[in-house]
Amino acid sequence: MHHSRAIMRTLFGALAVLFAIWSLVVSVVSAAPFSQDVEPTQGASESAQEETPINLSIGDDTCLECHGQPGLTMELENGEVLDLFVPPQEHAGSVHGEKGYACVQCHTTVGDYPHTKFSALDQRDVTLQLNAVCQRCHPGEFELTQDSAHATAFNAGNHEAAVCSDCHTAHDVRRLTNPDTGELTPDARLWIPQTCARCHSAIYNKYLDSVHGATLIGTENTDVPTCIDCHGVHNIEDPTTAAFRLNSPQICANCHTNPEIMDKYGVSTNVLNTYVADFHGTSVVLFEPETPDAEINKPVCFDCHGVHEIAWVDDPIKGLHVRQNLLTRCQVCHPDATDNFPDAWLSHYIPSPDNNALVYYVDLFYKILIPVVIGGMAVLVSMDAGRTLLDRYRSRKVKEQVELVEDVKQPLPDQSKSGAEESEVEHE
Amino acid sequence: MSLEMNQDTRLESNGVRLERTYQRFMLGQRWEHALLILSVTVLLLTGLPQKYRAAMWSQQILATPERLDLIRQIHHIAAIVLIIEVVYHLFHNLYLLFGRRLPEDIFPTWQDVRDAWQMFKYLLFLTKEKPAAGKYNFEQKFTYWFIFLILGMMGLTGLIIWFPLVVTNFLPGGIVPAAKLTHSTEAIVTAIFIIIWHFYHVHIERLNLSIFTGRLSEQEMRKYHAAEYAHLTVEVRDTTEEESGRDAS
Repeated sequence: MHHSRAIMRTLFGALAVLFAIWSLVVSVVSAAPFSQDVEPTQGASESAQEETPINLSIGDDTCLECHGQPGLTMELENGEVLDLFVPPQEHAGSVHGEKGYACVQCHTTVGDYPHTKFSALDQRDVTLQLNAVCQRCHPGEFELTQDSAHATAFNAGNHEAAVCSDCHTAHDVRRLTNPDTGELTPDARLWIPQTCARCHSAIYNKYLDSVHGATLIGTENTDVPTCIDCHGVHNIEDPTTAAFRLNSPQICANCHTNPEIMDKYGVSTNVLNTYVADFHGTSVVLFEPETPDAEINKPVCFDCHGVHEIAWVDDPIKGLHVRQNLLTRCQVCHPDATDNFPDAWLSHYIPSPDNNALVYYVDLFYKILIPVVIGGMAVLVSMDAGRTLLDRYRSRKVKEQVELVEDVKQPLPDQSKSGAEESEVEHE
Repeated sequence: MSLEMNQDTRLESNGVRLERTYQRFMLGQRWEHALLILSVTVLLLTGLPQKYRAAMWSQQILATPERLDLIRQIHHIAAIVLIIEVVYHLFHNLYLLFGRRLPEDIFPTWQDVRDAWQMFKYLLFLTKEKPAAGKYNFEQKFTYWFIFLILGMMGLTGLIIWFPLVVTNFLPGGIVPAAKLTHSTEAIVTAIFIIIWHFYHVHIERLNLSIFTGRLSEQEMRKYHAAEYAHLTVEVRDTTEEESGRDAS
């Protein structure tokens, strides 16, 4: 372990040196002046710098001399007042602070003292200006966010749409994943709904009362999905598209077909295959391969179970195990549905003598009937074909003999007679 | 095509081909059969992609919701055609039967059981005699009644899954998924039955086109409907001595 670390360190070091030489060569060749404001801690050298802190021109202490003082503010162009105070422990306690990143690594325009004057239209402009720096170290995540519903909204002119620091904060950036496994920590799972709730509070309130939200927040059970388990993390898809809707059963299936999670709570893992086998799911999954963005009026999981307000199945008001609630759900799409109608839906049960017995016995009947019909017919037909062929072969032989005899008896054989004789022989 | 050669062509010495044929199906019956072929083919072609929706070929056919709707509409139209045909067939034939204008040949009798048993023995080489059939042999009766039952089931279950809201007004809901399963499975039984049993008997065993031409030759009558042939020729003998004399030669 220590060995491999040392090797890695050497490798990264070598890479960093190579990169430095390469950039020097490139800049000399292109005869461009070596830019002073481009930091030496960039790109490929990031990892190397983690291990071997580079001497920075300005340390955090320098910044905090001013920005560590409460009450430091500035006026923005629109008159808003920007608080410039950064509590020292906020950055120090963050994942960046823990790793020794300095203020000026993100605030790249302020390498000298006194630093160049910062100006922004308004508070949001401040965030947007400073947010651009995240991609220097996190290009992959940044790239993903460009495909998200947030980016789409932003590009459409909604500058309130979330950018990196809206979710991760600016200075108090918390560690969310376990560094060894790369998986979300249980704490992070608890934070996620609160993070999204900063903007999506109405949805958060619905989620709080749902089987998932109440379990997560009430019992700190992290087996249940948080926002990102369904919506994704950085490339959060627009959930109002036809494609999202058509694919949504797969989202639920990620957990609901996983026995490792479901068995703990006695929840069936047959929800997807029974859905696909029944009326609604049949149509929904049909178009996925050819037209994944097909508009469908058939229900997906969330049409019956709810989106964020998914209730316990035995919830007296919303639970679908309660017959009246199920009928009410049916009537949303089938307004004329009567009391018997909900039974037309197999309720995610695989037919058995206890559940949907009629379907079970019909299935059993055909499981016996079909082999008997195919087998019986195949046997009878092949026996018949065999016997027919044999008879034909025999009658041809007899016919040859008869013709031979008749040739001797009569020089001109009567065709009709030989035909009649032949059929007599056949029926012998 | 057929295992047996057509042996009914007899050349008279003057070279003129003479063929005595017997009416087997009336024109209306032949049209009914044509309608049956058409509607069942369309129903199978539009139904099977819906049944095998997990298969690639099916998903290519039913690629969009619009296509699925179109195919379902075609299926429903063909179903209406078939239902009308079956209802017409039922009432028309009951009318003819009660008016004594249609012989009761198609109804199963104990003779059919005996014939089936003899055929079975014949196939096992226990006897050399094939049963002498009437107008419809037991296999043809079986085909008719099997298709009759299947069409009844398909029509009934098809209507149930077409109008589940109406049906659940007065029947338990469980009948709907059961009907769906029956409809989908019975369709396969139908396809298998038509291909293995019916096609064998009318195309492979011998080429029997009487449902299209309406007539059977004397040779075919003698060979495959001996009892019916005897019955007919006796009647002929009773009325016209001369004719029967010629037949016997």
